[in-house]
Amino acid sequence: MTGLSGTRRDLITGLAAAAALAGIAPIATAQTSVRLIVVGGGFGGATAARFLKQFLPSSAVTLIEPNTDYYACPFSNLVIGGLRDLSAQRFGYDGLRGLGIDVVQDRAEDIDPVAHSVTLGSGDVLAYDRLVLSPGIDIRWNAIEGYDAAAASIMPHAWKAGAQTELLRNQLSAMEDGGLVVMAVPPAPFRCPPGPYERASLIANYLKAHKPKSRLLILDAQDKFSKQPLFEEAWSAFYPGLIERRGAEDFSRVVAVDPARMVLSTEFEEVTAAVANVIPPQMAGEIAQRAGVANATGWCPIDAVTFGSALQPDIHVIGDATIAAPMPKSAFSANLQAKLCAAQVARLVSGLPPEPTLLTNTCYSYLSADAAVSITGIYSNEGGKLTSIAGAGGLSPNGMDPVIQGNEAMQAATWFRTITQQAFG
Amino acid sequence: MGTALLALLIAACSTTPEAPAPDASAEMLPALDRTATLALACSGCHSPAGGAMASLEGRTEDAIRHSLLTYKGDAAGTTVMHRMMRGYSEIDIDAISAYLAESAAP
Ligand SMILES: Cc1cc2nc3c(=O)[nH]c(=O)nc-3n(C[C@H](O)[C@H](O)[C@H](O)COP(=O)(O)OP(=O)(O)OC[C@H]3O[C@@H](n4cnc5c(N)ncnc54)[C@H](O)[C@@H]3O)c2cc1C
Repeated sequence: MTGLSGTRRDLITGLAAAAALAGIAPIATAQTSVRLIVVGGGFGGATAARFLKQFLPSSAVTLIEPNTDYYACPFSNLVIGGLRDLSAQRFGYDGLRGLGIDVVQDRAEDIDPVAHSVTLGSGDVLAYDRLVLSPGIDIRWNAIEGYDAAAASIMPHAWKAGAQTELLRNQLSAMEDGGLVVMAVPPAPFRCPPGPYERASLIANYLKAHKPKSRLLILDAQDKFSKQPLFEEAWSAFYPGLIERRGAEDFSRVVAVDPARMVLSTEFEEVTAAVANVIPPQMAGEIAQRAGVANATGWCPIDAVTFGSALQPDIHVIGDATIAAPMPKSAFSANLQAKLCAAQVARLVSGLPPEPTLLTNTCYSYLSADAAVSITGIYSNEGGKLTSIAGAGGLSPNGMDPVIQGNEAMQAATWFRTITQQAFG
Repeated sequence: MGTALLALLIAACSTTPEAPAPDASAEMLPALDRTATLALACSGCHSPAGGAMASLEGRTEDAIRHSLLTYKGDAAGTTVMHRMMRGYSEIDIDAISAYLAESAAP
């Protein structure tokens, strides 16, 4: 073994000293100088850039992200509920720069999968050997009639964190006691399946304390929803009479909005809201369509071992943009997919075959300031397809045990700290 | 790394990247095997900073294996770790335990 220092143990003990725990040691030693570009500096992309650089230290890793600051969606429902400051959601890219990653503050405007190039907003063209796309979601404007970018400044979606989060928070603060808050939930698939119901819980928590005459109405395009028994139990225990949900069996999908009149319409009724949170239908970030990696669904089919696009060579797609069901569109998923994609890219560029493994996801949802519940899944990616491992995973127990729910709230806080540290340093 | 090996890697990569690797490069990434990728899941929650998810720093292989097997075997357990470990075989748990103990060793 030319030029290498010997056994795995030697490598690990030699290199792990400065490294953080558990497989994030700089264990790879392939010195191939490949050009790796990552588009999107969110949970998937920032993590991918970091781990690509770690596994392939001699490669040139470029991260393309238009924003100087990233606002994390996980825990943004606590901001909306008045329990957390928006500044706690903000992360930057200096940590990645410090690792030798070239962070280019620009938008990827176009991708040519044949020429292997990315065109930036500035007009610059960057060439890649392998490209990782983690562009998250874009909103399907006008999928709900009347819901366009202008409407979102009156009826915020707050499904991308930052200014939208603050807008919804401020509208709730300014609302008079007695006002009706209406939330529209789209049909699956969408980013963060339990997210609307966590938000409903935390809005109710705010209303109960500050606007006790107000109510929250959920107009839901879904029949069933994530963690349903746990949320419903919590709503009747903590917020009796405060939350009403109309599910799809009641034909409660919002089909049109009129922001000027603050009206949301289903096929059967018109509802006038004091504050309207419209969570609209979504698709993979628009650059995925430009790259030709999205299919007719608007999402990106992948090989679940390498996260290689099923449609274009040498492009990998991770995070919310992918078709990864049963794995949900979560920051936890995006982070793990990024690490696994980086590991398999390191193997591929070194001439090793990809290797299947097991994946997990855990999503915590807050029910109140200090109670949370979780859902866990274990998945195999054998054969390039994600499948749930039977008999494992599942929900926190029912029964509203304050100790269990308190522990899960504390675990959620630790998870947030760790996952943001892994992505942004 | 020697230039010869680098050339070999570039050759392997520019021709058929999915082809089985030559033996030399099979040893290039010794730790990016299935065990390492299994363990990549752990670091999303467990960091040296600890907190409500314990740090695994300094834990022995036996201690980690004992905890993981206890979670797996406790049919009445309800925590995230109980729910998760039901999905892993004992062979996987052995490998993860050895790997974590080794990579987190001081
Ligand atoms: C209210 C809410 C609560 C949530 N709570 C949780 C939770 O508790 N736990 C959990 O695991 N997940 C949670 N999520 C889900 C989580 O936020 C997403 O799954 C996660 O952000 C997905 O990561 P990503 O990398 O795919 O996309 P993102 O994190 O959205 O990152 C995409 C990045 O790509 C950039 N980008 C897009 N297009 C381009 C382009 N053309 N050029 C360059 N850059 C581009 C964007 O600017 C952005 O920075 C929540 C989501 C919401 C909305």
